[in-house]
Amino acid sequence: MSKYCSFFFDIFGFNFNIIKRLVKTKILIILTSFLIVFFSFSQEKSKDSLYYLELSKAINKHKSEVNLKKAYSFFKSKSLDSSLFYSMKQLNLKKENKNIANLCHYIRGISFYRKKIFSESKNELKKVNENFKFYNLVKLTLGQIALEQREFKKATSYFDALSKLPEEEYLLINKSTVLTNLGLSYFHQKNHKKAGPYFIQSIQIQEEEKDTIKLIGSYGNMASFYYNQYKDDLAIPYFEKAYQLTKKIKDFDLKRRTTKNMAVVEENRKNYKKALIYRKEYEQWKDSLNDQNKIWAVAKLEKDFAVKEKQKEVSLLQTENKLKVAERNGLLYSAIILLVLLLTSIYFYRDKVKKNKIIASQKENLDALNATKDKLFSIVSHDLRTSVNALKTSNASLLDNLASKNITALGNLLKKNSAIVNGAYSLLDNLLNWALLQTKQGYFNITSMRLFFIVEQVAYNYKPILLDKAIGFENMVTKKDMVYADQESLKIILRNLLDNAIKFSNPNGIIKVYSKNNSDNYCDLIVEDNGLGISNETRLKLLEDSVLLTKKEHENVIGTGLGLQLCKSMIKKNKGKFTIESELGKGTKMIVSLPKTEPNG
Amino acid sequence: MDNVNVLIIEDTSAESDALIQVLEANNYTIAGVARSFKEALTLFYKTEVDVVIIDIFLNGVPDGITFAETINTIPNTSKPFVFLTSSTNRQVFERAKLTQPFSFLMKPFNELEVLYAIEMAVEQFYAQKDVFFNDDEDTVISSEHLFIKKGKSLKKVLIANIIYIDVEEKYCNIITENEKFVILISLTKILKLLDNSIFHRTHRNFIVNAKHIIEIIPTDNLILLTGNRKVTLSERYKDILKKVRTLK
Repeated sequence: MSKYCSFFFDIFGFNFNIIKRLVKTKILIILTSFLIVFFSFSQEKSKDSLYYLELSKAINKHKSEVNLKKAYSFFKSKSLDSSLFYSMKQLNLKKENKNIANLCHYIRGISFYRKKIFSESKNELKKVNENFKFYNLVKLTLGQIALEQREFKKATSYFDALSKLPEEEYLLINKSTVLTNLGLSYFHQKNHKKAGPYFIQSIQIQEEEKDTIKLIGSYGNMASFYYNQYKDDLAIPYFEKAYQLTKKIKDFDLKRRTTKNMAVVEENRKNYKKALIYRKEYEQWKDSLNDQNKIWAVAKLEKDFAVKEKQKEVSLLQTENKLKVAERNGLLYSAIILLVLLLTSIYFYRDKVKKNKIIASQKENLDALNATKDKLFSIVSHDLRTSVNALKTSNASLLDNLASKNITALGNLLKKNSAIVNGAYSLLDNLLNWALLQTKQGYFNITSMRLFFIVEQVAYNYKPILLDKAIGFENMVTKKDMVYADQESLKIILRNLLDNAIKFSNPNGIIKVYSKNNSDNYCDLIVEDNGLGISNETRLKLLEDSVLLTKKEHENVIGTGLGLQLCKSMIKKNKGKFTIESELGKGTKMIVSLPKTEPNG
Repeated sequence: MDNVNVLIIEDTSAESDALIQVLEANNYTIAGVARSFKEALTLFYKTEVDVVIIDIFLNGVPDGITFAETINTIPNTSKPFVFLTSSTNRQVFERAKLTQPFSFLMKPFNELEVLYAIEMAVEQFYAQKDVFFNDDEDTVISSEHLFIKKGKSLKKVLIANIIYIDVEEKYCNIITENEKFVILISLTKILKLLDNSIFHRTHRNFIVNAKHIIEIIPTDNLILLTGNRKVTLSERYKDILKKVRTLK
């Protein structure tokens, strides 16, 4: 017997010193074990879904409280530590709302209870206000804790209060559980009289609900209740009932316990044969249980292994993914950098091309200018050489005539010489003015002046040559005409125009200078001759804004074209306009339009 | 009428000779020819000068400008001047231009250009622009002289010598002790330019030099002037009696 005893003690680890009868001890141990298993069932099975529904309703009233929600969701999924953590977080926020506090304390209490930390659970649950919606559940749990902690009187008071509730309050509470627990409380206080009816009542309820598992527990309780009072006759039918019921279910553990109880009972009745049969069955169930446990363990191991493998795979994939992302990012960045490089190089390339174009055009321009200069240089030097050569030969004949004292010939020669010198001088003068204009070294000051007097002054120098060539000249500019111009440059312009007019006039021709006031802003000064005239083509060429010297139409008449270029530049600088009207054989009109001076301006 | 006196400051005798020839041909009097800055100053203050022709470069340095700057420092003694130059070099011109009023003559010059430059200088100096080249006027009035354009040349008349002026529409008859001639100038302009403490209007047509008044006979509306000249005094201008110092 003592051997059995120690055996049972080993299995269940409960030390019930109060019970003296050794045989009975074994049974009681089994009984209590029943009861404890029985509690944990009580809430989870029948009313679970309704319970969580109600609880979530209560939680959802406080939608903004994230921590509370999290605590609840962890609570529902039985992650008790997380639930405890978030409920504590929620409590630390110190919200005034009592309902939230109640919910938190409740969740914490139940969580602790489920973790079998009963004292903490009790503390939390005691903080729950009595107005709390689920206060009955609180009471139930407190009662169960009291039962666990062997404070049977307290437990009795909790359960007693609960058992007296009206029927509609039992929505979330299993009445049979309350009654069973009440019975147990009384039973442990040796108050068999009171305990009995509660056990019977709970059995009745469970029979009505056809809750097999609970019934087995209750039958067990009932049996041990009677057995403990040595009412073996009453106890045994309950043991048997429990045993018979287990045949309908698959729970090896329950089967094992009822079978073991039967074995102990038969053994106590000295019916060893039956006891042996039960014992064997018990062994079988135990093996089955062990097997099942083993299978479960193996399955669990396999599952763990599989999970680990999956985890490995997942982490591998993750790292692979990471690598891929890194690779992709690298590619992207390098692509962007390349693109930027490409764009900048394109930009610089285009810039360079543009610059090159500008440089090329400038070079072209410079080349053209240089060519012009060279051409100008050669023409001017050629002209000058011709003039000087003419002077040389003329001087030689002068000396000859001086020697022969031919005075009339001397006069003619000197006249010729002075004409040559005059031509050369005007060429040099133009050259100098051109240079001054190009280098912007000349003095330039636009003032108001009377056109007539300027024309008179310039024409004065041409009187001898006009007379000599028998060309008529008329200055018909009205004295009233006033223009804005730089005096010296206006004189240069006029000199060149008169030079040209004389050059292209036939003997006995006539040159007229007159003004026209066709416009509000400009006064036209016209130098007109009735000489050779120029073709339209040449005319347009002369008016072109080119720096290139125009080719001479009248090859026999010496000239560089410099004069007209100078005129155009000067007129432009004086903010004037220049046009030519001409007809071959009939004459040319050179028209210079200059800004007018307002009368009294 | 007197000739206008011109002082020539020119270091090259060929140039000065050419100038002298042109000027004398046009009835100008040559007050002198200076070859250097110093000589020029001496001549300028010693002789009576109406116009100065200054060569910018004297012996290679722009002393001509310095001379102009010098005479300009004493406003009342300054005279109209013309710069003579052979180049339009900008730097030189910019400096010369500071000696306002500024008129210049480019070498080589012809007769017309010389005369034009002198006339321009006189116009500009006395701030009466566009007088000599305008058909409506021919006289520039300075504080001492009338400068009158006669043909191609310029003449001057000492204002102190004018006895009275007889205005006839846009002409003015100038009567001096020895002469009588016509100038072209508007009445308003002449009244504005003459010193109104000396010249007084006595009639719609008469302006009288108070210094030449011998006797005023208000009863006959007559003013007797030097050289037995008589001028009418109209009622409207009788306040001349208050202005002119008379024996009571």
